[in-house]
Amino acid sequence: MVQVLINGLARGSVYALVALGYTMVYGILGMINFAHGEVFMLGMFGVVFALGLCTTLWGTSLALNLVVALVLAVLFAAGWGWANERIAYRKLRGANMLAPLSSAIGLSIVLQNFVMLAVTKGKVDFPHFYSDAFTKTHWTVLGARITLLQLTMLGTTAILCLGLWWLIQKTRIGISLRATSQDRLAASLMGIRVDRSIAGTFILGSALAAVAGAMVGMYQGVLAFDSGYSVGLKAFTAAVLGGIGNIPGAVLGGFLIGISEDLTSYWIGSDWKQTSTFVILILVLILRPRGLLGERVSDKV
Amino acid sequence: MKLSTRLSLAATLLAMASCQKKDDTIKIGLTGVQTGPDAAIGTAPINGSKLAIEEWNAKGGILGKKIEMVVRDDEGKPKTATAVAQELISAGVSAVVGHFNSGCSIPASEVYNQAGVLQITPASTNPQLTERGFQNTFRICGRDDQQGIVSAAFARDTLKTQVIAVLNDKTAYGQGIADVFKKTFETKGGKVAVFEGVGTEEKDFRGAIASIQKSGATAVYWAGMFVQGGILYNQLREAGFKGALLGGDGMFDNEFHKTTQGKADSVFLTFGPDYNAKPEAQEFLKKYRAKFGPEGSYSIYGYDAANVLLSAMAKAGTTDAKAVSQALRSQSWKTLGGDVSFDAKGDLTAAGYVIWTARGGKFVAR
Repeated sequence: MVQVLINGLARGSVYALVALGYTMVYGILGMINFAHGEVFMLGMFGVVFALGLCTTLWGTSLALNLVVALVLAVLFAAGWGWANERIAYRKLRGANMLAPLSSAIGLSIVLQNFVMLAVTKGKVDFPHFYSDAFTKTHWTVLGARITLLQLTMLGTTAILCLGLWWLIQKTRIGISLRATSQDRLAASLMGIRVDRSIAGTFILGSALAAVAGAMVGMYQGVLAFDSGYSVGLKAFTAAVLGGIGNIPGAVLGGFLIGISEDLTSYWIGSDWKQTSTFVILILVLILRPRGLLGERVSDKV
Repeated sequence: MKLSTRLSLAATLLAMASCQKKDDTIKIGLTGVQTGPDAAIGTAPINGSKLAIEEWNAKGGILGKKIEMVVRDDEGKPKTATAVAQELISAGVSAVVGHFNSGCSIPASEVYNQAGVLQITPASTNPQLTERGFQNTFRICGRDDQQGIVSAAFARDTLKTQVIAVLNDKTAYGQGIADVFKKTFETKGGKVAVFEGVGTEEKDFRGAIASIQKSGATAVYWAGMFVQGGILYNQLREAGFKGALLGGDGMFDNEFHKTTQGKADSVFLTFGPDYNAKPEAQEFLKKYRAKFGPEGSYSIYGYDAANVLLSAMAKAGTTDAKAVSQALRSQSWKTLGGDVSFDAKGDLTAAGYVIWTARGGKFVAR
């Protein structure tokens, strides 16, 4: 039972990190960035390539290579997040809601196919040298086996969430982000560079997704061009469950879905895992249409 | 010239041109999964068929014509497979070697059957494929109700497993083979403690593994493909599960050893007999490796399927599906995998499944 909870928390931490990207973009632009799952996938590939690069450049130094690869992958994914906003969304900002939505779906297809054609149609194994250090080290807690990787996933997610909270609540960047999300026009009149805040949101979300991608690459051991799809879908569900646009909500939603998936496969069977997630989503949306922590906002007149 | 006359003239010319084109080659469709997790295992038989067809063309083709290959990727998806089947028929193929996945072959076979196009699959093992009375559907591999039995008997009689867990990937192939395995294992007095499906996109099996460990199962049967099989193996060992992992032909690919770092032990799969020792196969393997790199587990089946098909066409003296089907059933054929003959359903009369095990980063026949 403890084992199931640990597995669920580890899975949920990934959903939480990716869900943050969905929810932040929704909060600031009111649109759903369907290409976010693909940025997560690019982060996964980024780490594997950067690890390969480090190994060829100066050999196999475990800690150094991991840190360098993670930084490179975060920069790579953040770059993509920024580029996505520039290419696919900025020009459409004044347009009908459906325009950026189609643009997002199109972008997601383009990115998937790009990786499929440019990298591989099959799978890539995460280099075992690096992942083994994390998956083979484990402790037994209350009869459950917890690996160093699971602990790392939980710890990293906790630190990143606190960091994000601090950034948004306590810094000037945070103030401009919040102002932009509340009223874009008023914010721009107050001298806030709205375009910059929006780009910043994409960069932040993408960086978080890249960190999640690096951890999932190790956790699953195998990556493919379509790896972003199911994680992206679950994370989006998590964001909606927690109340889209709400940052603590995305984290809560992520963990809830992670735990519910593992509990379902433990109690009922893996066949029902997908079903249970969406049953929970539907129930929550019936009872609380704005999600668990979603704010009740009266329509602007 | 009036416009209508001009149009009809153009139409006639076009029709003549297309007839002309149709007449000077015989088209053979080659299809299977070339994208996604099964890409590695699915491309191998297509390459095998290509080699066979090139050899026939080098000898002057068939029925006085050259053979043209029409290659299509069905992405391992049933929906794409039926679309590919339509495309191949529109392209005017006389016969199809494919598809790879049972989940693709079964719906596509309906399309081929309606259009009267002969289909021979190198790898689809789900029994359903040949159980619907289609006269022009063939397979040059065994059936899951044969390999599932061999695997279950091995688990009960040789490994002496009492309690086992069975996981499948929710595809036609996975569910079919899981059912047969469960039935045989239970008939032989064993207990199937966990019987669950996970989707093909699942790469985190830790939830199912927790149930398996709780259930007291001492071995796991994976009814699915090699990518997930390798991940499952790693995660079972990570969770401290030391029992055997069994599986079918879908697990039989060298990529499995890359995922498991060549360290896999107590892995037992069912696959066809070992052709590596056969001298006839050596020449094929040499040519194949020179052209495409390392062979896949089903490369030789693709080669055999194309050869048998073309030999039957040569014997029938026509590409008509009905005549070729009759020719295929009429005699036994020499292949690299041994002599084969087809029964009324289109299955092999004898499919010799044997148990293979992983040793030193390779699969070896036991």
